[in-house]
Amino acid sequence: MDTELSEISTFIHSIPPFDSLPRQVLAHLVRELTINYVRKDDYLPPKGINEPRLYILRKGAISCRSADGELVSRLGEGDLCDAFYHTETNAPSNSQTATTSQLQVHTDEDCLIYSVEATVLQDIGERFPSISDYFSQNSAQRLKNKMTQVNEEAILSSTLMNTAVSNFYQSPVASINADQTIQQAAMQMNEEGYSCLVVVEDDNPVGIVTDKDIRRRCVATGLVTSAAISEIMTRDMCTIDAKSNAYDALMMMTAKHIHHLPVTKNDELVGMVTVTDLINNEGHNAINLSSIIHKANTLTELKEISQLLPKLQIRLAKLGSSADHVGKSISAITMAFTKRLIELAEYKYGQAPVPYAWLAAGSQARQEQLAHSDQDNAIIICNSMKPYDDAWFESLATFVCDGLAECGFIYCPGDIMATNPKWRQPQKIWQNYFTDWVETPSPKALLNSCVFFDLETIYGDATLLNTVRKQLLSKTQNSTLFIAHLSKNALNLRPPLGFFRDFVLKQNGKHRATLDLKHNGIAPIVDLARIYALSEGISAVNTIERIQQAAGTPSITRESAENLIDAYEFLGMLRVEHQAKELMRGESADNYLSPKEISKLEREHLKDAFKVIKSLQDARQSSY
Amino acid sequence: MSSTTLTNSPLFSWLLGYEAKRKQLLNKAPAGALRDFLSVPMPSMATPIDKVAILAVDFETTGLNAKQDKLLSVGFITLKQQQISLKSSYHQIIKSTAQLEESNVIIHHITDSQKEQGQALATVVAALLKALAGKVMLVHFARIEKQFLTEACHHLYGMAPIFPMIDTLALAKRRLDKRDVAYDPSELRLANLRHKMQLPEHHGHNALNDAIATAELFMAQMSKANKDGKIILKDVLL
Repeated sequence: MDTELSEISTFIHSIPPFDSLPRQVLAHLVRELTINYVRKDDYLPPKGINEPRLYILRKGAISCRSADGELVSRLGEGDLCDAFYHTETNAPSNSQTATTSQLQVHTDEDCLIYSVEATVLQDIGERFPSISDYFSQNSAQRLKNKMTQVNEEAILSSTLMNTAVSNFYQSPVASINADQTIQQAAMQMNEEGYSCLVVVEDDNPVGIVTDKDIRRRCVATGLVTSAAISEIMTRDMCTIDAKSNAYDALMMMTAKHIHHLPVTKNDELVGMVTVTDLINNEGHNAINLSSIIHKANTLTELKEISQLLPKLQIRLAKLGSSADHVGKSISAITMAFTKRLIELAEYKYGQAPVPYAWLAAGSQARQEQLAHSDQDNAIIICNSMKPYDDAWFESLATFVCDGLAECGFIYCPGDIMATNPKWRQPQKIWQNYFTDWVETPSPKALLNSCVFFDLETIYGDATLLNTVRKQLLSKTQNSTLFIAHLSKNALNLRPPLGFFRDFVLKQNGKHRATLDLKHNGIAPIVDLARIYALSEGISAVNTIERIQQAAGTPSITRESAENLIDAYEFLGMLRVEHQAKELMRGESADNYLSPKEISKLEREHLKDAFKVIKSLQDARQSSY
Repeated sequence: MSSTTLTNSPLFSWLLGYEAKRKQLLNKAPAGALRDFLSVPMPSMATPIDKVAILAVDFETTGLNAKQDKLLSVGFITLKQQQISLKSSYHQIIKSTAQLEESNVIIHHITDSQKEQGQALATVVAALLKALAGKVMLVHFARIEKQFLTEACHHLYGMAPIFPMIDTLALAKRRLDKRDVAYDPSELRLANLRHKMQLPEHHGHNALNDAIATAELFMAQMSKANKDGKIILKDVLL
């Protein structure tokens, strides 16, 4: 037993990055420490110390301000102050040195401060890169390391999302000529043991037919089996590129409620992947849930199924799924609920009088939904609709929105729902809406309408929305005023500075007990991504896809894009973990993270994420 | 009252002066650790306290009576230029033949087997005297360190040196007495004084931890009392 300096060792050992040091090295480091007492309202470094040192606050509080007096951070017990650590030789790779050396470090309370000479840490850092990396890297680099580590862990814990579809598909694809008969198709299925054939015309795939199609569209309807297979095939065939990951394939099948997905390579059909292929690899709940939803015939049944949703989110979080994948899974399930409710409504009220599409807005459209968020939806109707047709759509909207509410998707507080006549309009009215928003923008109108810039078709004729979107994007790209107003709104949500003791430290120096992960972390990134997409004419709505596609455009550099995605994934991961904990305790999930919930290191990573967001917000601000 | 206690008494020292007494003792001291210690001049009484080199010291003992009880371990650390350097820290368990009483094992976490691995009293006292030369000893509750060091020197060298001391307990007591308000004596305990000064919790009863804790407390006391920098060594000496 060695109690010598054990208290100080324990204290130092609790602080990242020193937690990674072996015992002997830690003991060496501790013996190199000096202790100073600096009274309140004084400044660091303590008098008489000129050499570069790292300061470790043992007791008390200090605040760091930039040369122009702006609060940069507040430090409490166990926090590191590297304002006087960097010399010209060990400066971080970006230009932070200039700013840190100009920091004014003021003691807000009487302080007991440990410190160690920079040269000692540099020596240790030569043998233990985790130490040198910690002090030599900037926020973005540290965050990148963290997310690389998280992703590596995910690879170990889950294979599906990190395995390409090419590992699963069956090849060659069983195909049949479009002019062959239904009976020939059935015979081929029997002979070759497939339940699904790709229909080709001059060697080009034109559709897909499954054994279920033969039952539903031929036998059940009394169609003769000598009819051409093209009569009953599905023409709008979904395909997936062989390079996509298996998880995305699973999600696509879940959302569309299909069991077979043709795989393409350079747009050429190379194989077929089935749900069974994927499920055999990883017992997955999302697809099962989606198929039960599809079989539910009453609202009561759907309501029962919806209670499984929090469990699914917990399970996904436990599996180590990234926030991106959790969001996609939950959004796919919500989509399945919505589709089933629409089908039930169509059964109840009869077929729609004119073509239409049910749209999801906001987080569901972006595929970033978590269990039981509120519903944001709308209906776009073919221009041929007559005024009296609206009655049918109103019934549909009421049935579906009420049904979703029954299933735990609360009504949108802002009334962005298809039940609101304003958001249940023919295509031309939607076109007018967007024209107004873009051509004569007002900040207030944009604040309320920005949810409509994230829209996706859930059910029905997708061309209705696609046409509107194409026109919209051609307008937004050239509308400086619109982008300026959108940016101004987006910059209202600012991330906090960091943490002070167990509080969240805001930009104005005030404290909050909890961090609002959504409004002070995730939403600012979603907003930035939307601005990039609308400025660059990108049609994607998913935040990560938007940032990826905007990377390298005038809106954002490739490097910043990568940093922003790291920050987004880290915040999303914390949110998913936080919500999983709440759901497991049987509480409803929220976005309010208490600093006490997370480790010291996670707080550091959060601070790094905040810095990345802030720098991109600042860049946005200065460009308008 | 023996002559030794008289020469170490504050009254005697004040009458004669530390430096005069040191020179007097130096002539009588046998060659070795004690003589080396006495040959280094003491800091001047008029030195501003911020400039005084200090050695914070703590002893763990088997009891309160220096004549009967044994020194178990010694810890010390230097406080110089208002800064504690952990590099200067020293902690040593003393090897002795005395059996440890169970109660002491519990308090000090020193077991007999550890004590066996300790060093001889002579080695430890010599190390202490070497570090203390030219410095002022800082302790919390001076009686223990004063009496046990005096007794050890008598035992080892046949005579005791003189060493100026600062006592954080006495300094705190002086402040409390001045307020003319009744207080509980337990308020003067090291842990309680530290708590009042908002210093971190520390685990007592390890000689080095206590020496560091005392040095930190002294820095905090001086930070409060010496804002104008006018306090000199004489003002805080026991």
